[in-house]
Amino acid sequence: MKKKIIIGLSIFSLIFLLAGIYIITTIETATAKLDNLITLHQVEILREHLLINIKRVQSDLNLKSTRFARSIDTVILNVRNMEKMADKCFECHHSEDVLERLSELRNDIDKYKDALSRVFTIRANTGRLKAEEDSAFRTGENLITKVNNMISIASSKLEKKTQSALGNIADTKTVLYILLAIGPPLAAGIAFIFMRGFTRQVNVLLEATRSLKEGNLDYRIEGLKDEFEEVAASFNNMAASLKEQMYKMQRTEQMVVLGELAAGLAHEIKNPLTGIKLSMEVLSEKTFTSEEDREFILKIIDEIKRIDSLIKSLLKFARPPKPNLAVSDLNEILNDTVTFSLKHPSLSSKTSTSINVLKHFDKSLPELMADPMQLQQVFLNLLLNAIDTMQDGGTLFVKTSYDAGENTVQIEISDTGKGIDENAIDKIFQPFFTTKPKGTGLGLAITKRLIEQHGGAISAENNPGGGATFKISLPVKKEGKNL
Amino acid sequence: MVKVFILICVIIISGCSKQETTSPDETTPSTIDTTLVIGLIPERNIFNQIERYEPITGYVAEKTGVNIKLKVLTRYGNIIDNFVSAGLDGAFFGSFTYTLAHAKLGVEVLARPQYIDGTSTYHGLIFVRRDSGIKTVKEMKGKIFAFVDKATTAGYLVPLFYFKEHGIDNYRTYFKETYFTGTHQDAIYDVLNKKADIGAAKNTVYRRLADVDKRITKELVILEEFLDVPENGLAVRKDLDVSIKNNLKEALLNMHNDPAGKSALRDFGAEKFIETTDNDYANVYKYTKEINLDLATYDYINE
Repeated sequence: MKKKIIIGLSIFSLIFLLAGIYIITTIETATAKLDNLITLHQVEILREHLLINIKRVQSDLNLKSTRFARSIDTVILNVRNMEKMADKCFECHHSEDVLERLSELRNDIDKYKDALSRVFTIRANTGRLKAEEDSAFRTGENLITKVNNMISIASSKLEKKTQSALGNIADTKTVLYILLAIGPPLAAGIAFIFMRGFTRQVNVLLEATRSLKEGNLDYRIEGLKDEFEEVAASFNNMAASLKEQMYKMQRTEQMVVLGELAAGLAHEIKNPLTGIKLSMEVLSEKTFTSEEDREFILKIIDEIKRIDSLIKSLLKFARPPKPNLAVSDLNEILNDTVTFSLKHPSLSSKTSTSINVLKHFDKSLPELMADPMQLQQVFLNLLLNAIDTMQDGGTLFVKTSYDAGENTVQIEISDTGKGIDENAIDKIFQPFFTTKPKGTGLGLAITKRLIEQHGGAISAENNPGGGATFKISLPVKKEGKNL
Repeated sequence: MVKVFILICVIIISGCSKQETTSPDETTPSTIDTTLVIGLIPERNIFNQIERYEPITGYVAEKTGVNIKLKVLTRYGNIIDNFVSAGLDGAFFGSFTYTLAHAKLGVEVLARPQYIDGTSTYHGLIFVRRDSGIKTVKEMKGKIFAFVDKATTAGYLVPLFYFKEHGIDNYRTYFKETYFTGTHQDAIYDVLNKKADIGAAKNTVYRRLADVDKRITKELVILEEFLDVPENGLAVRKDLDVSIKNNLKEALLNMHNDPAGKSALRDFGAEKFIETTDNDYANVYKYTKEINLDLATYDYINE
């Protein structure tokens, strides 16, 4: 979005800059053309003044021998003015061609001056005087014709230039009007599109927050772009996290209720159950009890023991004992538990011997603050499960390692057994979920709770070559710190 | 705004007052409300004469504090008339017009230019076209003679001396036609352009034109050269204020020592002005005497 805003503003600025440059350039060009036109008109006026001056001198010549003759001082003044006007033509910049014509004109003026001077100074007979006057007059007339021609040519060119310049100015004016007409709507349109793009995404975010507020933790934002996409991703993560926390809270509440329920049940069921069990034991030892009945009574006693065990597990899960922290050597605990598990009474001797155990303990593993008994219970549970899946033998792989970056200890317990059903892999840590015919469904749930009580985490995954791996991560806590 | 205007007025008035009270001892000349009218003879194209003399008179006006107005005359003889009728205070006289004005009006010559080539005099020439075949006075008979003006030395006085020397008693009958071109330049060009067969003009104009128009040297031939006479010098009326007269003379004679004056002289084409007296016109007086011309009664009006 930031990039879009910068690009948008840059484009906006560029458009305004270009429009500004265009307007300034066109105004400058138009002004220059007008200046040029004014100069050309001034030149035109100059030429016309020159023509007037020549005609005035010519008039002086015509009046020379009449009673209207002007004084020689006036004639000299008029001739000098004519000369000055001609010299002014040279002050402008001209092309070589024009300069040549002007030089020719200047020479003609000099000739005219000489002829005039001669007319005013010569003293001769009438014929000669008339010839000189005629000669000067003709020179003057030629000069007038030349200047007239120049004026005519220049006027024609000037007219064309004026029309061209006025046409250009009209075009410029039209373009400026168009710019003026489309500029503001264009700017408003761009601003509207830009703002709509911005506000639409903000509205989506607002809608999402409202939805979240109403308790829809499954609401997810999609389709946003740029920085809004990042905000949406954060929002989605937040919603997922909230949902998870909510779930945990619900679970915690459920556990509290379950604990209370379990405690009540244990109290209410255990005592009568103990009575029933004792009664059954007594009954089974009576002589009047037939062998057939005794067998039934023993089965009842076993089931009572199972119910008792279930109640104990339920109590353990609902009200897990607080970890009794001590400096623990994880490698040692794990190693002992592996050894113990292979000798566990629940396993047949055949199974124990057919299991190949591989240990890969990190010797630099730091000691950590943990409850050794609870960890032993966790490891034993996982190890027995692993061994249980390898009834026909297999390899048990146990590994510890240290992640310095996270400052955690990693424990992996792998087997080469049947693995976990893909549909069940997300549910195995849920209480009362079991795939075993006689399982309580509380083993992995208790394991998870014990690990979480240590601030750690547990996960499970199937191995690509078969079997499953359980990974435990435990934080290395300093002595004295509470969990 | 009004206060600013009043302040400006006060400054201007105080500035003007200060100028009026300038001591006469200061080197900068005080503005004297005097205007001298100086006449210019039509030695060259009359429309170029003011332009030619303006640098000189402008400098002198600045140095002396006297306003100078130039008046171009269409005839040499006009100077004599204008001294009386138009109230000229002085003029750059030709040598003959000076002697006439001196004799008739008592004008006093102050200075004359010395040109860059060192000359301060000129002399008269009689010339013809090379292809005219005229080599002697006899061959001039029945031809057209172009004078300059009856009041010029080179353009009229010396030809009269020449005619007398060669036994021509009445040139009006000896030649087919005679006329006055008005300027030396036109006399030369009239012969060159075959409007006249024989011409008389001053050598300085002839040389200047020959420098720019090669046809003159190529197509004209000089038959006679006369004695040197002073170049056109400034002479003023005899009753002009002595201090003004002295100031004018001093300014002219010293202008070559001043950068501004030097620049003005360069524009004029001269090196400096030299002092000139009536004695310098001895050759003119000699010619008038030779042809028995009485300057005091001479009718200088062209026919």
